[in-house]
Amino acid sequence: MEIILFIAKFGLAFIPLSCIAIMIFLERKGASIIQDRVGPNRAAIKIPGIGSVRGFGMIHNISDSVKLFFKEDFLPKHAHKWYYILAPMLPLMTAILTPALIPWFAPISLEGVEVSGAIINANSGLLMLFALGALSVYGVVIGSWASHNKYSLLGGMRASAMMISYEVSMGLSVVGLLLLIGSFNMTDIVEWQAANAWGVVVQPVGCLLFIVSMFAETGRTPFCVSEGESEIVGGFHTEYSSIRFALFFMGEYAHIVIASALIATLFFGGYHLPGLNTEVIHAHTAGVLAGLLAVKALMLALFCLMTTRQKKLYGALKASDKAVRLKEYSLFQIIFGGGALVAVLIAAVLMFIPMDGLLSELLTAAIQISIVMAKTMFFCWVFVWVRWTVPRFRYDHIMALGWKVMLNVALVNLVITAIVYKLLIETGVISG
Amino acid sequence: MAKIIPRPQLSLLEQLYFVEVFKGMALTIKHAVRSLAKPETIPVLNYPEVQPELPAEHRSEHRLMKRADGTSRCVACYMCQTACPARCITIVAEESPDGDIEKRPATFDIDWLLCVFCGLCVEACPCDAIRMDTGKAILVEDSRDAFIANKDRLMDWSPADYPAEDIISQEAPGGLLNEQALAAMQGGMFSAGDVADVADKETC
Repeated sequence: MEIILFIAKFGLAFIPLSCIAIMIFLERKGASIIQDRVGPNRAAIKIPGIGSVRGFGMIHNISDSVKLFFKEDFLPKHAHKWYYILAPMLPLMTAILTPALIPWFAPISLEGVEVSGAIINANSGLLMLFALGALSVYGVVIGSWASHNKYSLLGGMRASAMMISYEVSMGLSVVGLLLLIGSFNMTDIVEWQAANAWGVVVQPVGCLLFIVSMFAETGRTPFCVSEGESEIVGGFHTEYSSIRFALFFMGEYAHIVIASALIATLFFGGYHLPGLNTEVIHAHTAGVLAGLLAVKALMLALFCLMTTRQKKLYGALKASDKAVRLKEYSLFQIIFGGGALVAVLIAAVLMFIPMDGLLSELLTAAIQISIVMAKTMFFCWVFVWVRWTVPRFRYDHIMALGWKVMLNVALVNLVITAIVYKLLIETGVISG
Repeated sequence: MAKIIPRPQLSLLEQLYFVEVFKGMALTIKHAVRSLAKPETIPVLNYPEVQPELPAEHRSEHRLMKRADGTSRCVACYMCQTACPARCITIVAEESPDGDIEKRPATFDIDWLLCVFCGLCVEACPCDAIRMDTGKAILVEDSRDAFIANKDRLMDWSPADYPAEDIISQEAPGGLLNEQALAAMQGGMFSAGDVADVADKETC
């Protein structure tokens, strides 16, 4: 049992890794749909019997990774070899370690063994998360220093100065929430939100500050000063190529996934949905699962509708590859439509399966993992959404915003939270 | 005297920045949803599988118009060569065997690497012998010499590639098809002045 649990928990560490592929797809397709474009759709694989399949641009992930793996691994002569090799590993390493601290489901008991939702159910959970998250800046700094190149160094300096500045307001923005909850333990934080109210309701200003700080922490637009093609060539990764370059980017995307999971856990109730407490899910496992499957079926049906519309549109055009593309659209119609039907069927069958103790426990955990993942993916989309909406700041504006606005707002928010909380306890509105 | 442009004064809401960010995000999500729900509104072609519809005025590679007997309508008058600002047209004239027509081109070369596709040669031609309506605009060749189109290449086009209902796109007016073309023109496509112009060109 211990070993199975160990392996299962080990699998959770791969959540950000597998999300990287989705993130890259989401980034490109998100950019294209926001800018009224079709987006990447040229890479295709030939499946015997079906023909070439483009998969709405999904195949680009495969072709990109193949390209990056087989490109020449170039090591500049002037680079500091040891640190140059070490640097790309750090961001990805920290990004793979952090999901261990995020509670993916409520604590369950399996044959008497109490299993916590976080792999490391530490009482210092949030502090450890912040500590690990702060480590990722070392990858950028070491990489830029080891490149021995003025543009890389400028990019690394900018990134490190910005990340350290925003770390302050990031830490202070959650203190207000921690004051109310009284625990650093991540599971406690989610349980408190389930029992009282979501963090975004009790700390709206703190939530906004935290999300903005997270954008700065991950080095995303509007805070993407660590790289600037028009100013400092490529920024910190100017000298990097092939898989080392890819590792930096995988680290960045994994960091986005972790940041999204953190936002969802701290301020948006983690695995909790309004009206769906752990007890409720546990008591009506089949019903909740059927409801989730119905949502999934609805989404698949929408995808099927979308494919049908695109097929109809392409069929009306004078295109030289009409037959091939229409065949592919038919394939995806079958996949999405069939998937929707299968989801409905499974939901119907589930109603007749008795949910006993162990199965119910496991399914509850699975449902809660999917709730966290849904929230995480939503915030990943917000990262993409903001990137293609907001223009980037000038460097001094970033510093002014970080030190003169966000830090002060976070401090005032903390003080007001403390005073209001104390007053509420004194007047007996809530019990401390 | 320098013109002083006053800095735009931001209102309090705009200075807050967040409200404007949310406005922008509302705009972008509107575009995203529109792209997904109504793919027909995306102004993008699946090029090169889907080719754009070129307007009739589009200037592309040249072609030399033919008489009904298949010879070139060009009378080697050098008007296009003179009008060309890029000096890409080279004509060598020779005597025409036809008694009514003085000259014909021995060679008619257009260097597409020099050509700026301005269309002045088409404007200058008194015989409607050169046109730029082939719709071909992608010039890909292996050598510089291959970009120089000679008379045979300029006359190597098929009437099937041009709209059948538009007779003057098939054959230039004059010769055997003149009656037919004039009839088509009088059907309302051109003014009486145009028809008179074309009728003057009958000697071409």
